Amino acid sequence: MTESLTRRQFLRAGGLGALAVAAGLQRSRAAPSAAGITVVDQRRVKIHLAHPARRVVTIPEPAASMLIAIAGSVAPLAGMNRVSEAAVDEGILGVMFPQAKRLPDDVAGADFAPDVESILNLHPDVVVQWADHGDAIITPLEEAGLNVVGLDYGTQADLEAWVNIFGTMLGVPGRSRQVNSTMAQVLAELRAEPKPASPPSVLYFFTTVESLVPAGRGTYNDFYIKLVGAKNAAEAITGDQGAVGPEQVLAWDPDIILIGNFDSGTPAKFASHPAFGALSAVKNRTVYKVPLGGYRWDPPSQESPLMWRWLFELVQPARSTGNLRAEVKSYYKFLYHYDVSEAQIDQILWMGLNSSATNYGRFKS
Amino acid sequence: MAVSSPERVGARDAPSSSYRLEQPAPGAPGAGAEGLGGRRGYLLFAVLGASVLAVAIGALAVGRYMVPLGEVFRILVSRLVPLHRTWTVTDQDVVVLLRLPRALLTVVVGAGLALCGAVLQAVLRNPVADPQLLGVSYGASFGGALAILLGLSTVALMAGAFGFGLVVLVVVFVLGRSAGPAPTLTIVLSGVVTGAFFSALVSFTTYIANPETQLQSIVFWLLGSFATATYSADLVAGVPVALGAATVLALRWRLNVLSLGDEEARSLGVNPQATRWCLLVAVAVMASASVAVSGAIGWVGLVVPHLARPFSGSDHRRLLPAAALLGAAYLTVMDTLARTLLPTELPVGILTAVVGAPTFFVLLRRHHRRAVWVDV
Repeated sequence: MTESLTRRQFLRAGGLGALAVAAGLQRSRAAPSAAGITVVDQRRVKIHLAHPARRVVTIPEPAASMLIAIAGSVAPLAGMNRVSEAAVDEGILGVMFPQAKRLPDDVAGADFAPDVESILNLHPDVVVQWADHGDAIITPLEEAGLNVVGLDYGTQADLEAWVNIFGTMLGVPGRSRQVNSTMAQVLAELRAEPKPASPPSVLYFFTTVESLVPAGRGTYNDFYIKLVGAKNAAEAITGDQGAVGPEQVLAWDPDIILIGNFDSGTPAKFASHPAFGALSAVKNRTVYKVPLGGYRWDPPSQESPLMWRWLFELVQPARSTGNLRAEVKSYYKFLYHYDVSEAQIDQILWMGLNSSATNYGRFKS
Repeated sequence: MAVSSPERVGARDAPSSSYRLEQPAPGAPGAGAEGLGGRRGYLLFAVLGASVLAVAIGALAVGRYMVPLGEVFRILVSRLVPLHRTWTVTDQDVVVLLRLPRALLTVVVGAGLALCGAVLQAVLRNPVADPQLLGVSYGASFGGALAILLGLSTVALMAGAFGFGLVVLVVVFVLGRSAGPAPTLTIVLSGVVTGAFFSALVSFTTYIANPETQLQSIVFWLLGSFATATYSADLVAGVPVALGAATVLALRWRLNVLSLGDEEARSLGVNPQATRWCLLVAVAVMASASVAVSGAIGWVGLVVPHLARPFSGSDHRRLLPAAALLGAAYLTVMDTLARTLLPTELPVGILTAVVGAPTFFVLLRRHHRRAVWVDV
């Protein structure tokens, strides 16, 4: 039987991962040469750079924090989307990298349409843009002579490809290999964990305030719910765009409910719904607010291994190692070269909002 | 009296087109009853009232969570007289806390929107008039979207929607006061312009909304939904709709006179301007309250009065209550389908549009064949 994850194993994971390197390079290959760097983005377009990118503008929301994590500093980030800037301001990333708060954030609208003139003013080596939102948001950049790296979104393979692309682009492929091998190692260890005989059902909500939008089959949330040995209560629906009624939530009656960071929903607000008192998760106090660190833990990001570990502790508490706080501290040091304080870990884990939740006491300092 | 061309009937951008529905021939549905009374009239309201009740009970009986029909009845009866408990707490919560307030809300909003459409079609003498033509729905939509954008509470959302709906009415009133010889045309144009302005503001809110945290909520709300129905929402919508409905029903005879034209109204002792604005205020109050609790649900105000006319005739003393009852039943059916067809909720505004557009087209064809739409 595989032992539960230990802190040592988790930390050691950063140095492991020949397999992870191979997996991570599936969609992005770098070809460094005397003539410069070639990055293959997720459109399979080759972008040639004379030197590692020193000034990068990011338009996809999660890209700014990942770029900082891969670079190990905010230096290469020349500008970002207003939404990314808001996340920096509101979250711990702004505390870790205060200079990120002062970066230009007028590079694109909420619909990701680029403000080409603003971007040209920043003289970027590369502009990172969504590849799966249509050519209309890429073509104006390319016609202005800018190097555009296109990114897809939503799967673990996409996440690993982002890490590789960023490492290649910044001239630090070794760092990408480290991050990806860490993820691969944690993935392998969680996959090796024995699955519960009777897997608990988990229901993740992107939003709960104005509408109840759950993560259905095929989402990234679905991926990690199953990874930790649970089943997705919203398996009957596909994707992440549909809202469900409260009656459907009662019909699913999940064992665990996760409140996402895409609105101001909290376990207390959720439980105050007049009909949700009958839900098993409300009665058993297994409604949790998903942590929010350098970026939200719910969608795919460089902090995803921590999300998997956090959820594993809640889904399989009997196999817990009880050292998530130490892992958060170590992983943030690894990702951001920053020593998070105990108070900051409390903030990341939403210790206040989750204070009365079952099994959450284990995360106390 | 000339038969209108179908082009004129369907021309939303030609609001000056005079419009009324021809009185049904003797023996046709709706003919023969005087005022609200008359044997046929009472029969019509009995049938429509029973339909609303049946549809509401049906709405209480079906949903994504299975509650046996017998238990639904027992749960409802147990609210009035003590019964031996054979149902679970969840069964009771589903029926009493989820389905009942939602069914009440669809009844209230459906009746309100249908009344709005029937009144506007008569006041503006335009067969394609609905609350959106007056601009009120767009104003209310902006108020609600703004509340979501600012991260305000659900109460603020309702207040914002209601308040901005009334703001639009004031703007339309101010613009319409300059009405010269064609006051209805001025009102319609004022409504269209004001509506376009607030529609642009709605677009702006969606444009600047955070795509990760706000946009989906705004879009879902704008599409129309009763998913967040509560007894509080019933009260928020119910009081204004009841006041508005009481007003327009009290003025139903004057509405008949008004639909003949201003000159005829004056000759019959009715002040057309005062009556018109009184009715428009009532419509704005009902439409704003409806949007406040359910988002912008289109096509109900447009289609339902036309569905009711073949049965009630065009006398507003019968048409208004008939449209209200039919609207209540219609929207309850639409919402029941919206929440039961799929595991995810279909925004009811999409369903009313998908069903309403072809229904309106069929009505248009039938009325054209019968030469019912006429120029006065």
